[in-house]
Amino acid sequence: MTAIDTPGGTVRPPFWRDIRVIRVVLQVLAVVVVFGALWLLGNNLRNELIRKNLPTNFDFLDRPTGVTISDSGFDPGSPVSAALLAGIKNTFLLAIVGIPLLTILGTLIGVARLSTNWLVAKAAGVYVETIRNIPPLLIIIFVFNAVILQLPAPNDPATPFDWFVISNLKIVGPSLITESGAGLLWIIMLLGLIAAVAVGIWRTRYSERTGHPHHRILIGFGVVVVFAVIGYLIAGNPIQVALPRLDGRIITGGFGGLGSYFSLLAALVIYTASHVAEIVRGSILAVPKGQTEAANALALSGFQRLRFVTLPQALRIAIPPIINQYLNFVKNTSLAIAIGFAEITLITFQAIGNGYPAPQLIVLLMAAYLVFSLTISVMVNILNRRLQLVGR
Amino acid sequence: MTKRLFTLLIALVLALAACNGDSSSDTTTTAAAGGSETTAAPAASGSLLQTIQDRGTLICGVNDAVPGFGYTDAEGNFSGFDVDYCRAVAAAVFGDATKVEFKALTAQQRFTALQSGEIDVLIRNTTWTASRDGGEGATFLHTTFYDGQGMMVRADSGIATIEDMANLSVCVLSGTTTELNLATRFGSTPYTPLTFADNDQLQAAFVAGQCDGWTSDKSQLAGVRSNFPEADGGPSALVILDETFSKEPLGPVVADGDTQWAQVVDWVVLATIQAEEFGLDSTNVTAYTGDDAGVRRFLGLPIQTDSGETVFDPGLGLPTDFATQVISQVGNYAEIFDRNVGPDTALGLTRGVNALWTDGGLLYAPPYR
Repeated sequence: MTAIDTPGGTVRPPFWRDIRVIRVVLQVLAVVVVFGALWLLGNNLRNELIRKNLPTNFDFLDRPTGVTISDSGFDPGSPVSAALLAGIKNTFLLAIVGIPLLTILGTLIGVARLSTNWLVAKAAGVYVETIRNIPPLLIIIFVFNAVILQLPAPNDPATPFDWFVISNLKIVGPSLITESGAGLLWIIMLLGLIAAVAVGIWRTRYSERTGHPHHRILIGFGVVVVFAVIGYLIAGNPIQVALPRLDGRIITGGFGGLGSYFSLLAALVIYTASHVAEIVRGSILAVPKGQTEAANALALSGFQRLRFVTLPQALRIAIPPIINQYLNFVKNTSLAIAIGFAEITLITFQAIGNGYPAPQLIVLLMAAYLVFSLTISVMVNILNRRLQLVGR
Repeated sequence: MTKRLFTLLIALVLALAACNGDSSSDTTTTAAAGGSETTAAPAASGSLLQTIQDRGTLICGVNDAVPGFGYTDAEGNFSGFDVDYCRAVAAAVFGDATKVEFKALTAQQRFTALQSGEIDVLIRNTTWTASRDGGEGATFLHTTFYDGQGMMVRADSGIATIEDMANLSVCVLSGTTTELNLATRFGSTPYTPLTFADNDQLQAAFVAGQCDGWTSDKSQLAGVRSNFPEADGGPSALVILDETFSKEPLGPVVADGDTQWAQVVDWVVLATIQAEEFGLDSTNVTAYTGDDAGVRRFLGLPIQTDSGETVFDPGLGLPTDFATQVISQVGNYAEIFDRNVGPDTALGLTRGVNALWTDGGLLYAPPYR
C-alpha cells in the first residue's frame, strides 16, 4: 500500500519513512523505555538497600509481629504475614458491608433528587452538594470524634432493650446461633430453594404464554419463606437469638465491631453514596424522555415506570462509573490510619514502624489493593456484560 | 496507535520526573521550619559533615507532638529537649545554633527518612534497641535521656497496677517500642490495644474514655499529663502508675556508614555532659579565664606548652571551640534538662538516673583529651 506508482516504476519510500517500520520501531522503543525505567528504578533501590546493609528479601514475613491487633485475639507471636492477612480481612469486612450499603443509600438519594416532591428533592440535593465536597478524611475524623467518641465510655456502656451493648469502644448487637437440628432446617431450606427456582421457571413460561405478569421473584421468595417456616417448626427452634451479655468489661455473645470500624464504615458510606447518587441521577436523566412518556402512555404507575422502564436502562449507564466509586471506597478505607482501625494500611505501617523493611511492605500493600480493585472490577464487569443490550 | 504510545511515553517520563522532584516533600508531614525544601542526600563521596557544611543548615528529624521533648507551638516554633540537641549540633558544626531545619516525623516515617538521607540526624525520642541498630541501617549514639515505659490512667479509675487492667483497653502509638513492650507486659492477660498514628487523636480517644490506659515512655506521659486540658480535668485527673516496665534509652540516631558524622554528633552530646561536670554553663563559659588545662582543652582555649601556645584539636572535624559554642548558645546538660523537662517546667521531671555519674546517675563522658 505504501508503494507509490511513478512513471519510472514502483518506488518504495526509504525505510525510515515507511509507516510499517515506524510503527514497529516505536512500539519496541516504548516497551524498552518502560521496562528500562522500571529496571533502573528497581535496580537502584536494590543497590541502595544492599549498600546500606538493609534486607532485600521477604524473609521478614515469617518473623513474629510482637504486637496484638484489637478485637481479633491476635497472638503477638504470630508472623508478620498473619498480621497482614488480619489487616486484609478487616479491609474486606469494610468493603463487603460498605459496598451494598452505599449502593442502596446512593440509589435512594439519586432517585430522591429527581422527586417531584420539592422538600425531598432539595434535601437530597443539599446532602449531595455538601458531602461530595468534603474530603473523606474530614468526614471520618468528624464521625469518629463527634459521634462515636460521644457514645458512653466502655466502663459504663448503654444497653438499650438489653439487645445491644453500645460504647465508644465497641458496638455489639444480638446474633443468631444455631443449635442441634439446624442441619435439618438447612436441608429443608435447600429444598425450598429448588422449589422456588422451579416455580420461577413455571411462572416465566406462564408469563410468556399468556402475557400476564410473572411475579417470579415475589412468588419464589414466598415459596422459600413457606419452606423455612415449616422447616423451623419441624426442626424445633434450631436457631436462637443470642443477646450480648455484659460482665464487667467483658462482652460475651452477640455480634458487633469496634467503634472505629463503625466510624469508618458510616463515614465512607455517607461520602461515597453522595457520588453514587449523582451517577444514579445522571443515568436516569440519560434515559430518553420517550421511554418515560411511553410508560405513561401505558398507564404504568410511578413505581412501575421506575422499576420496569427507567431503572433497568439507567443501570446500564450507571454501572461503569459506579465501579470507580466502589474502587474509591476500598482505597479510602486506608484513611482508617487516622482513627486507628487495624486494616491493611495500618498494619503495614505498624510493621514498618516496628523495624520491618518498608520497600517490601509497601510493595505488598500495593499488591493487596490491586487485588481488591481488580476483583471488584472483574465482578462488576461480569454483571455489566450480562446487562448490556445485545445487538440483534 | 503511535500517537497514543507517544502520549503514554511522555506521561511516563513526566511521572518519573515528578516522582524525583517530590520525593523530599512527600514523606514529611509538616513543612520544615525553613522556607526552602532541601534534601540531605549524602554526597557521593566524602563525609556527610562536609555536605552539611556546604549546605549551611543541619536537617534534623524531630517530634512535634510531645511537649518537653519535641513540640511545635501555634506559631510553628519547635521547642523541647530533643530540639535543643538539634540546635547543639548546629552550634557545633556552624557556630550558630539557629542553622537547623526541623522536620517533623511520625514514628513510622523516622527510619525511612534517615535511610533515604532526607535528614542528617534523628533526635526524636527514639529508643535504642538491638534490632533497630542492626536492621534499620541506623547507628544509635550516646543516650541523652534514660527513660522507661509507664502506664497513665484516670485518677478516678481505681487502677493501681497493670494487673488491674485485665480486659481493659490501652491506647498506644503504632510503630513504637512501647507497642511491643505492651504486648510483652500483658502477656496472656487479655486486653484491647488501640493503636493510633499520632498523639492528638490518641488523646481524643483517651479523653472520651475509649481507652482506660495510655502507655508510652514515662517522660512523654509526664509531658502529655502536664498539657492535659483543664476542660478534661487537667493534670490532676491523671495518674502515672509507679511500675516502669521497660528500659527506653533515648538518643540521637544517624545513618550507618559515616563514622565521622557519628562521632561529631556523639561528642556534641558528650560535651553537654562534660560541661556540667566542669561546672560550665551558658552564663560562665565565654568568661572562663581559669588555667585548668582540662577545661582549656575542652573549650578550645590556647594552652601554654614548652613549644609555645597551642590549641587542642581532637580531630573530630569540628572547630576547636565547638564546645564553647554549644554551651554558650544552647547550654550544658543540666540547663537543657531544666529548661525543657525539669522540676520548674510543667513536666516537673527530676533528674533521677539522668544525673551525672558523680551524683549517682548514668551520665558519664569519656575524657576529652
